[in-house]
Amino acid sequence: MFSKVLVANRGEIAVRVLQTLQAMDIATVAVYADPDVNSPHVRFADEAYPLGGSTAEETYLDRKKLVEVALSSGADAIHPGYGFLSENPEFSRDCTAAGLVFIGPSPETIELLGDKIRSKEAAIQAGVPVVPSSPMWVPGDSPPNDVLPHIGLPLLVKAAAGGGGRGMRLVQQESDLEQALESASREASAAFGDGRVFLERYIPFARHVEFQVLADSAGNTIHLLERECSVQRRYQKVIEETPSPALNETLRRSMAASAVAMAVSAGYTNAGTVEFLVDSQSGDYYFLEMNARIQVEHPITEETLKLDMVEWQTRIADGELITLTQDDIQSTGHALECRIYAEDPYVNFSPAVGRLMVWRPPSGMGIRLDSGVAEGQEITAYYDSMLAKLVVWGPNRRSAIGRMLRALESFPVLGVTTNIPFLLKAIVHSDFASGEYDTGFIVKHQSLTTAPESSQLQAVAVDIAEGFWQSNGSNTRGQKIDAHKATQSPWHGLVKSVFP
Amino acid sequence: MTSRRLQQIHPPLTELSAVVSGAVVEPAAITGFDVTVSSPGRWEGSVRLEDGRTMPYLAIRDGQQIHVWIAGESFIFGPSVPVARSQRVGKNTSEDIVCPVPGVVIAVHVVADDIVEAGQDLVIIESMKTEQVVKSPRQGTVQRVSVQEGDRVDRGMRLVVLVPLTDE
Repeated sequence: MFSKVLVANRGEIAVRVLQTLQAMDIATVAVYADPDVNSPHVRFADEAYPLGGSTAEETYLDRKKLVEVALSSGADAIHPGYGFLSENPEFSRDCTAAGLVFIGPSPETIELLGDKIRSKEAAIQAGVPVVPSSPMWVPGDSPPNDVLPHIGLPLLVKAAAGGGGRGMRLVQQESDLEQALESASREASAAFGDGRVFLERYIPFARHVEFQVLADSAGNTIHLLERECSVQRRYQKVIEETPSPALNETLRRSMAASAVAMAVSAGYTNAGTVEFLVDSQSGDYYFLEMNARIQVEHPITEETLKLDMVEWQTRIADGELITLTQDDIQSTGHALECRIYAEDPYVNFSPAVGRLMVWRPPSGMGIRLDSGVAEGQEITAYYDSMLAKLVVWGPNRRSAIGRMLRALESFPVLGVTTNIPFLLKAIVHSDFASGEYDTGFIVKHQSLTTAPESSQLQAVAVDIAEGFWQSNGSNTRGQKIDAHKATQSPWHGLVKSVFP
Repeated sequence: MTSRRLQQIHPPLTELSAVVSGAVVEPAAITGFDVTVSSPGRWEGSVRLEDGRTMPYLAIRDGQQIHVWIAGESFIFGPSVPVARSQRVGKNTSEDIVCPVPGVVIAVHVVADDIVEAGQDLVIIESMKTEQVVKSPRQGTVQRVSVQEGDRVDRGMRLVVLVPLTDE
């Protein structure tokens, strides 16, 4: 087994990977950009080295610096986390050339899957259904209007190197196509260093369901069941759950077989995820892409299967064979994940920055927080806006939702605006409770993203603020005031009301 | 009755609710709450409910602002702005188009003297790896562009000054 591993990432995923490595008794190395000097991942690792600079390009995307730090610190492997260089075949090659193990699939597999066209071809060869799409477009090309009849409108512009919804645009009419191509290409270029984009048929009312797979160097490939990821804003996931309320046993078995066939067809090793769109009206499903890295939402799989995905990634990279058989994969209960973003749900989910003056995560039975921030930390605009992932497990879906509700309402965060009020409303919405939601959930229900006009809670907040302001910092004077007659937690009784 | 000195800054109030409950916040009921931790920068305690349950709250002071967390919702209050200073929409008043998010300007689509339509793209900001398009809220003439490509900008910073088209 490796004696020392460098984690080439930041935030919650860096902390998550470090935790497993430490539990495996492997020494750990962290790296950081200047604004992250006080981040938890820096303190958590055995050693931490500055990358010098603030932007992602100068730091977490600088292949040369990362390999240098790995070598000089004596690490024998690099875990890339997700995002940044996790799906960059050149980085994987750099590692190998320097005698370091890259914890992930081979560069050839990453290249194949990173190319949306070639990966689709691999899916077709494996007998997996795919969504119709166009050839690649780059700035300077004429708009590919000739393929429009084949794809139809509305359509999606997607980045060849896409992920996380970046470089993606919905086009309603032909006249908007050119601008969408350019803007998507520019965004893709900034996020991935690759401006190639293409068109894909847009399937409205689709559900986004993915299957986790695990494969070793001997080609043993198993699936770890599905994750439902349909609650999205700007094509980015916000709430995930497993099992998916959308699948029956027949569909689940069929999709799982497709996922394994896809992984085998791509020559996959290590942990990967096969994403599908499920047409909620017809029940048909289509291969979307395969992600060659650990997924943000992997904890819900860990909670229902009681296994450690990062440990398996590390063991497989070290050449171990998978000792689990497909029959060992039995899901227990239900898990939910809410992504805590620094953003304003009432202003178009626009990113928020500031100092986390209060950050008090909830705890208790079935509650897990994968977090990369700490109280007092400055949240900057340099990186992604995800602060943490709140994950709960319950013996069934209803209990998981109840636990999530309690966890969210007892999670004080001040100083940086978060999407917690949105999450609270979303998980008790009747469409979420019934399990009948799709990727249009947030857009369809505007009440979720509308600030409450005036509520009892607001009235209480006003009184507290006035009292505090007028006390002007005077010392403790334990006020004893009569119980508020009309105040009630707005969430109280909601689980009961949505599950009659 | 104590006069109210604060107004709600966040969540943003719509124009209607600002009139009803914003600048002149008059809560409908008398609030009951305990202060169990008190310092110049922080108040903590609980609000007691009629059914016997209690709900924790937390309030902090940040300069001229009070942030209050209560049962999963967060509010920001600041000193009331005198009515005279609140914005009036006059016929020939220029309007600052401000930056909605912190980030970097990656494209500027207008120059001074351009006539723009409502909904037209003015400036594109990259923030937290996402593009945010700042669109014109109404028809008008660009009087001034205050930023250029590559500028680092903050929320609330002026991007473009817009003046209404003259009818004559």
